[in-house]
Amino acid sequence: MNFYALLFLIAGLGLIGWLTARARAARFDRGVHRRLHSLPSQHGWYVAMWTVLPALLFLAIWNLVSPGLVREAVLQAPAAAQLSDFDFERDAVLAEARHIAEDPSADGDPLARQLAPAMGAARARYGWIGSGVAILLAFAGGAFAFTRVRAGFRARTRVERGVMMILLVASLIAILTTLGIFLSLLWESLRFFSAVPPGDFLFGTHWSPQVIDAVHPGQSLGAVPLFWGTFFIGAVIAMIVAIPFGLMSAIYLTQYAPPHVRAWMKPMLETLAGVPTVVYGYFAALTVAPAVRDLAVMLGMPFASSESALAAGLVMGVMIIPFVSSMADDSIAAVPTAMRDGSLAMGATTSETISRVLLPAALPGVVAGVLLAVSRAIGETMIVVMAASGAANITLNPFESATTVTKQIVDLLTGEAEFDSPKTLAAFALGLTLFVITLLLNVVALRVVKRYREAYE
Amino acid sequence: MSKPPANRPAAQEVPDRAPTDWKTQSMQKRIRRRYAAERRFRLLGFAAVVLSAAFLAFLLATMVTNGWRGFLRTDVALTIDFPAARLPVTPAQLGTAGADLALSGAGLEDAVKNAAVAQFGPGGDALVADSAWLRVRDALKHDPTMLDRKVTLHVPASTELDQAHGGDGSPEMAAAAARLEKAGALSTSLNTAFLSESDSTDPVAVGIWGALKGSLLTMAVTFLIAFPVGVLSAIYLEEYAPRNRWTDLIEVSINNLAAVPSIIFGLLGLAVFLGTWELGGRTIGPLLPRSAALVGGLTLALMIMPVIVIASRNAIKAVPPSIRDAALGIGASQIQVVFHHVLPLAMPGIMTGTIIGMARALGETAPLLLIGMRAFIVTPPQGFTDPATVLPVQIFLWSDEVSRGFIEKTSAAIIVLLVFLLAMNGLAIYLRNKFETRW
Repeated sequence: MNFYALLFLIAGLGLIGWLTARARAARFDRGVHRRLHSLPSQHGWYVAMWTVLPALLFLAIWNLVSPGLVREAVLQAPAAAQLSDFDFERDAVLAEARHIAEDPSADGDPLARQLAPAMGAARARYGWIGSGVAILLAFAGGAFAFTRVRAGFRARTRVERGVMMILLVASLIAILTTLGIFLSLLWESLRFFSAVPPGDFLFGTHWSPQVIDAVHPGQSLGAVPLFWGTFFIGAVIAMIVAIPFGLMSAIYLTQYAPPHVRAWMKPMLETLAGVPTVVYGYFAALTVAPAVRDLAVMLGMPFASSESALAAGLVMGVMIIPFVSSMADDSIAAVPTAMRDGSLAMGATTSETISRVLLPAALPGVVAGVLLAVSRAIGETMIVVMAASGAANITLNPFESATTVTKQIVDLLTGEAEFDSPKTLAAFALGLTLFVITLLLNVVALRVVKRYREAYE
Repeated sequence: MSKPPANRPAAQEVPDRAPTDWKTQSMQKRIRRRYAAERRFRLLGFAAVVLSAAFLAFLLATMVTNGWRGFLRTDVALTIDFPAARLPVTPAQLGTAGADLALSGAGLEDAVKNAAVAQFGPGGDALVADSAWLRVRDALKHDPTMLDRKVTLHVPASTELDQAHGGDGSPEMAAAAARLEKAGALSTSLNTAFLSESDSTDPVAVGIWGALKGSLLTMAVTFLIAFPVGVLSAIYLEEYAPRNRWTDLIEVSINNLAAVPSIIFGLLGLAVFLGTWELGGRTIGPLLPRSAALVGGLTLALMIMPVIVIASRNAIKAVPPSIRDAALGIGASQIQVVFHHVLPLAMPGIMTGTIIGMARALGETAPLLLIGMRAFIVTPPQGFTDPATVLPVQIFLWSDEVSRGFIEKTSAAIIVLLVFLLAMNGLAIYLRNKFETRW
């Protein structure tokens, strides 16, 4: 049965359960129980929950299990004896068979064509079993709950306990996601490090994943040039742009700007943060990179790259400006007004107050903001994918090309390599490194902010 | 801040000194210098803001100047002599359902090219787009009697001619464009196909509908998952969670997830949703179909969930406790307090945060590249499990194309994306201003 139709059916059953239970509860004999514990609608919710939740839970599990069962059934078919023993080939044929079973006009491998009827039959069988059990569960759950709907039944307590469980499960998803990120990165990285020694990866200075030596894959997978490129573009060039601009705009907007200017300028800065990174990337590649190359040629570097570190870093810096600005804004606003007023009362000019009193007092917050900005810059992907080069160089010259971790992750995973090669697994190892570094930056920054806030409270 | 008096430096003997004379020349000079420094500092701040604004303006202006021509199309008036072309179809055939098939097999494409060569001389076929015959086909289907006469149709110009007409083509094409212009054979009209067609290899025939539909489907999945889960977990954390190690762990993971680079979510989606799993010794293929809106939406949902949770928590926190107390006081249960009173009052703030999160998801590219939503999609996806691409990825793919015609199409697609994002952000600001309550 169609999946959406099934969902609709279950939801419909839930609605029927809700309506009948509410109607039944509404006609309770109030003679004996003058005051009912629960409202009729709460009885309705109780029945609806019992109707819908077990069926949905079963469907979720069934959707995970049934492909395996279908596969088992197809492998029992006589034609399946001709299937190759290699998992990869066998899976490809089975996938094709499934495709043909869905759409008989599709063409494919003759073996897949032979298997298609068995595949179609097995899918239909397990599909019907799944739908049948789900509907049965919905009926059984609803009937069970309906028999319990009585005047003295404490439906409200039950429903509230159920809602509580749902809330708890929803908030656990955040932990599960974090755990999922960490474990999946760790798992693939461990597989990578079983082929490539971690020392080679972390301290090797030669990166050329296109040619990987089968015996010593670590020799061409040294990630130091990537780390350097990431640091150079994200933490040096981008910050040289973002820190002065972000800080000075925050100072101007909080200390100098008249309210109507601020009312226009602040949303404008926020718009800068709302522009998608792919647009920045396109802008960097189309407009900034050629300009930077021309500049380099003018400065006497005739073979300057059009994929320079400078172009990507500059645009990235502009992207980070609103981020630095809003963090600086917050931490300057957190400095007690008494300090500012005291300095002004002593006869200091506004700029002297800002640079000698406000900024030193706000410094921890500003530093934390810069750390967060760096963490965002080194995780930024599209700008470097579109504007930086893939050549791994360790260079101090901003006009030369440099590559970053994120750019390499995209390059490694969008190629045509199979999933298990060291080349694709390297992307996960790079991802793990990136995740750990951004996490550390984040934890340090949040701690600094927290301690600093306490200092003034 | 008060220190015990013992630690205070002893009061110093102030030597007898004449009061500072602010009128002396050196003092005046010093004050002038300080005021100049003040003005410089202020100017520096102003310059920082103005330069940021200028950058934004420059970026938008670049996109608009590059992209506005993407919404226009150049048509060539082409005279086709259908009786001379001797197409093996009859007008009666064109009224039937098999008209497309009959015309495709009838060599209509060659007939159009031949007509162009006949009208514009050798090389004339390079002036009309490869897809021009499709327009002719539709015209024929609309009016089958045209098969018996000579008609002039407006067909799309080729990319080169289109570029030249915009003043940005090769010299020979520019000459051809000028010649045609003089003959009155060129016309410019609104390129409605750009909004209704999908990806193609020919820049004059591309459209963004396929990518836009993919984006809408992806956003639907993202919203359906991230919004309920985000709001429910915010309610739990704000209203119910006991203060203990578990809830601290949840809070820390949410705050950290908000700062995890988006590409990491792509790796997560790739490993978890598209990886190969084993369950009881059986391999289960990818949990979700590759390149589908479903898997993209799920990945983005995990990405923006922390944004929604944080915004919702702030909105719920802003509802004054007196409202909860009043509801509890007249006998509402905890759940009733939250769902009948707190949540409706917090809704504007929650919606604002959700819209901002959705705008972020709409502009996101990197994680979707990793989960394979970068395929060449010619037919718009029909459902959540069909291969799809999204608008930002389409922009990325077009930006990689060599043909110059794609530059204006890329910029035009960027304009569409920015219009959507600005509309969403504007809506968020409007909601915030309209429903913001100061308690």
